[in-house]
Amino acid sequence: MSAINNECSYISKNKISFSFDGKTFYAYEGDTIASALLRNNIRLVGRSFKYHRPRGIYTCGIEEPNALVQIISEHNEPNTRATIKRVYDGMEITSQNRWPSLRYDFGAINNILSPIFSAGFYYKTFMGPKGFWKNLYEPLIRRSAGLGKPPKNFRSKSTHQYHNTDVVIIGAGLSGLAAAKKFINTKYKVLLIEQDSYFGGILKNSNKVKTINGLTPQEWISETEELILNSKNITTLKNTLVTTYNFTNHLIALEDKFAGKKIDLNKSELTLHKIRTSNTIITNGHIERFISFRNNDLPGVMLASSFEKYIHRYGVVPEKEPVIFTNNSSSLSLLKKLVSLGCKPKAYVDSRKKDNIETEIKKILKDNDISFFSDAEIEGCDGNKKIETITIRQGKSFTKLKSSMLCVSGGYNPDIHLFTQSKGLVKWDKNILSFKPDTPFQKTITLGSTSGNYNFKKLCDEINEKLSILKTKKVSLDINLNVPNKFSIKELWETKKKSNSNWSKSFIDLHNDVTIKDLKQAITEGFDRIEHLKRYTTNSMGTDQGKISSINSLAIVSKMLKKEISEVGTTTYRPPYAPLSFAAIAGRSTYEFYDPERKTSIHSWHLKNNAVFEDVGQWKRPWYFKASENETMHQAVQRESKMLRESAGILDGSTLGKIEIKGRDALEFMNLMYTNAFSKMRPMTSRYAMMLGEDGMIKDDGIICKISDQHFIATTTSSGAPKVLADMEEYLQTEWPHLQVYLNSITEQFSTFNISGPKTREIMMKVFPNIDFSNDAFPFMTFKNFDYKETKIRIMRASFTGELGYEIYIPPKFGLELWEEIFSCGKEYNLIPYGTETMHLLRAEKGYIVIGQETDGTVTPIDLNYNWMIGKNKKDFIGKRSLSRPDTSREDRKQLVGLLPINKKDIIEEGQHIVELNELPKKITNPIKYLGHVSSGYHSPNLNHSIGLAMIRGGKNLFGQKFFVTVTGKTKNIPVEIVNPVFIDPENKRLTS
Amino acid sequence: MILIKCPYCGERDQSEFANGGEAHVVRPKNPENLSDKDWGEYVFFRNNPKGIFYERWVHSHGCKKWFNVVRNTSTDQILKVYKVNEKRPDLTDFENTLKSPSGEPIVGSGNFAVKK
Ligand SMILES: [Zn+2]
Repeated sequence: MSAINNECSYISKNKISFSFDGKTFYAYEGDTIASALLRNNIRLVGRSFKYHRPRGIYTCGIEEPNALVQIISEHNEPNTRATIKRVYDGMEITSQNRWPSLRYDFGAINNILSPIFSAGFYYKTFMGPKGFWKNLYEPLIRRSAGLGKPPKNFRSKSTHQYHNTDVVIIGAGLSGLAAAKKFINTKYKVLLIEQDSYFGGILKNSNKVKTINGLTPQEWISETEELILNSKNITTLKNTLVTTYNFTNHLIALEDKFAGKKIDLNKSELTLHKIRTSNTIITNGHIERFISFRNNDLPGVMLASSFEKYIHRYGVVPEKEPVIFTNNSSSLSLLKKLVSLGCKPKAYVDSRKKDNIETEIKKILKDNDISFFSDAEIEGCDGNKKIETITIRQGKSFTKLKSSMLCVSGGYNPDIHLFTQSKGLVKWDKNILSFKPDTPFQKTITLGSTSGNYNFKKLCDEINEKLSILKTKKVSLDINLNVPNKFSIKELWETKKKSNSNWSKSFIDLHNDVTIKDLKQAITEGFDRIEHLKRYTTNSMGTDQGKISSINSLAIVSKMLKKEISEVGTTTYRPPYAPLSFAAIAGRSTYEFYDPERKTSIHSWHLKNNAVFEDVGQWKRPWYFKASENETMHQAVQRESKMLRESAGILDGSTLGKIEIKGRDALEFMNLMYTNAFSKMRPMTSRYAMMLGEDGMIKDDGIICKISDQHFIATTTSSGAPKVLADMEEYLQTEWPHLQVYLNSITEQFSTFNISGPKTREIMMKVFPNIDFSNDAFPFMTFKNFDYKETKIRIMRASFTGELGYEIYIPPKFGLELWEEIFSCGKEYNLIPYGTETMHLLRAEKGYIVIGQETDGTVTPIDLNYNWMIGKNKKDFIGKRSLSRPDTSREDRKQLVGLLPINKKDIIEEGQHIVELNELPKKITNPIKYLGHVSSGYHSPNLNHSIGLAMIRGGKNLFGQKFFVTVTGKTKNIPVEIVNPVFIDPENKRLTS
Repeated sequence: MILIKCPYCGERDQSEFANGGEAHVVRPKNPENLSDKDWGEYVFFRNNPKGIFYERWVHSHGCKKWFNVVRNTSTDQILKVYKVNEKRPDLTDFENTLKSPSGEPIVGSGNFAVKK
């Protein structure tokens, strides 16, 4: 039974209530979920990951491997450490990883089936037959693995905050506070970060320190805290966990803004602090480790210092008569505390020899008549969902005791996680049997138990000495202790098993259910490197990262391999130190803030006219316009395409990238950047041009307008504009700095409309009555500037549909007005607005390619039969040399062709394969010869049958031949004829009409 | 996240920059005179050493200027930043300032967090 420690002054007396798995319990304000559950005598809090074994509360802090719960009030936050999260009134909590209930868990059968879940089971078990993975294994694993359930419909409002400081102190325990004291009113800008909601660390968590400078620990903390808070150069952060220590002293810390309170969904609940500092002082202490024995996972097994913390800090004595099992001197303070509270431990089991055990311990045991086992160990424990009996081995004799709790201390590890993240080197210390920081890589100082100094008397000297490199004040610490001054420990990692049963297991990793047997098996199978062993067994790969057990596993493995532990080495410590919510990382960059939306000046008109939008890069572009409520996309696109070729249509092309190229050497630069030759091009004419990579592959295309040899305007694809500009800039700066050229992005300086169709000229003449649009005055691929009302416009004769067409450029301010003017003039000619889908269909009918559709980074202009675009007489341009590489001049490269269905009713689908077989075999045994793929497929309303563009091996020489196109979900293929990829107006009569 | 000192703007967070791969790979003056192999070397092959690396960075979310950096790829330590038109520093300039957290070899991999 648990009891109350009424001496505890750290917990509030305000009673609150919360629910766990539907039942209501009480707690005090300031309780964690774990302390509240212990207060209510709840021991069973979850089921384990693999074997679904019953698990309880093992620790009292961030290192907890077992007690993970789901908070269903707020936003259903899973995998919450019950030992950290504070309870508030009305909190609703459920256990995890059990079905149908915590007490009767169906998955517990896995424990009986454990031979198949041994080391490497993921790699061995789920290997076949084919189809089993997708249909059976994966759904099964997904349901039973993964502990909690993800939050639903929760929109985080977490924020990011940036700091630049001189000194960061991580951890405000005894060492951290003493270090901070040295910086009071100095010139250094200091940030003191504490993970907990209070300062004091070990002073508040244990009975170890009696007095400091004559004050009680609480008095000393209050005095020091006040001095720190009054010092203008020191900033403090509580409830903030440093998770990451990067290069250049860059730290990341997560602040919980609602510790102990219900989250206000309208406020930021988490703050991610990004800190740049000159010096980092790590004082985040140590973590107690466990010892492996038979059933060391049963609810009721708890680390001794955690047990002490529950008494001291939360006023809960988890059990009045526990058994204490230790291999070191630290449990003296727990023993003292229990006795002072009138509790009598059932037994004290110490693996050290009697002579090596402190006299004070022996005296307390004797005075209070407590069973004492020296040179002894716990063989194991047994019970149904909790400890009922504990078996002690002393020499050859065994003693079985009845108790429901076992406090275990296997020693202490300096918390070297952040230090090794910072690339500091650690060293094995035989005195504390653990790794401790040795050589820092950055400006990092470790103090106190983090640095492996377990001697309180030497702490003051250590702090003054190590901080003497900075100009700080001297501090004095006169510490009186409840524990022996000298830390003593005997090596013990696992105890010998007496009995063997299928249910009995000796765990090395509680979070991921890894047993000592798994480690042995992995080594037998050849995984003797620690990094391999870790991944094969999943040891220390849980969300707790093996904080209480990873050093134990290194020690056990080194014994199995008969090597020194420093030879075995540690696995790599990686950020984050503890799980970091995705919401915190994302910060405000979510939903509409994730990626800005770009809208053209005509956007409001599109909305009014029932446009359906498509995302192109960041742009919102009309995809198609719905003529009526019930019109489908297919119907709309067919209608738009037919109307345009009959009368006229207009497209909002404002999203097209536009780059202005100016300067003395603009012509030379353009000749180098693009495949085309621009030298002989007349001013005020334009040309379709291509840009290649140095490997000869097409990167982008667009129309180049030449105003003069010193002035060009290049258009790019809508999504390619930033990359094209960046590439141009890169070549100018790095390869051709001698060229005098200036680049300017002018995409947003113009609204651009593409108007095309046989009636276009009539409409343009009506909109611009003073302009001569005749073929002679305004031929294809020329452009002119005009005054229009109070602004200037540029009109270019160009087309992407294959019809007579013009492009109009106007400052966006006047864009909508002109757009509406065009519509009022175009009404009598049945002018329609059209979207990107119709544009794609029309250009496919004309055999024009789209970057990213016909091309995919492996296509050269030669593959497209666009040899006419290559300025062969130019000495050089980007990618030119690559066009004559043996690979780019292969005859059997994939080349652009057109596809016509032989049966006019068949539909050619985009993305389908082109093969030689008219029917695929029911069961595919040998690979089927693949000739290419359909890059574009549409039903042409103007031809009234399906058409396709395709990239086919050696396609140029296959015109007139018959092949087959596959169909989704069918084995029967469609017969098609390979044709020239221009389906409409191959003579360009419409284009130049 | 390392800090990079843009020669035009000063020290900024890495997130403002983009990496441009190996530096001092000059585009051949007369590509047509190159053999397929030599041209292939220029287009496709770059060094990727563990240790000192001359590389290009661009201050893409800043002044958009390209510059060169000498970086120790095994520690991310930046040894020198210099402008495109400045002379490439000598390897010997850095040998004494090099630090490696574990004294690990310049080539190869391994985990050396523990001091022997
Ligand atoms: Zn800059």
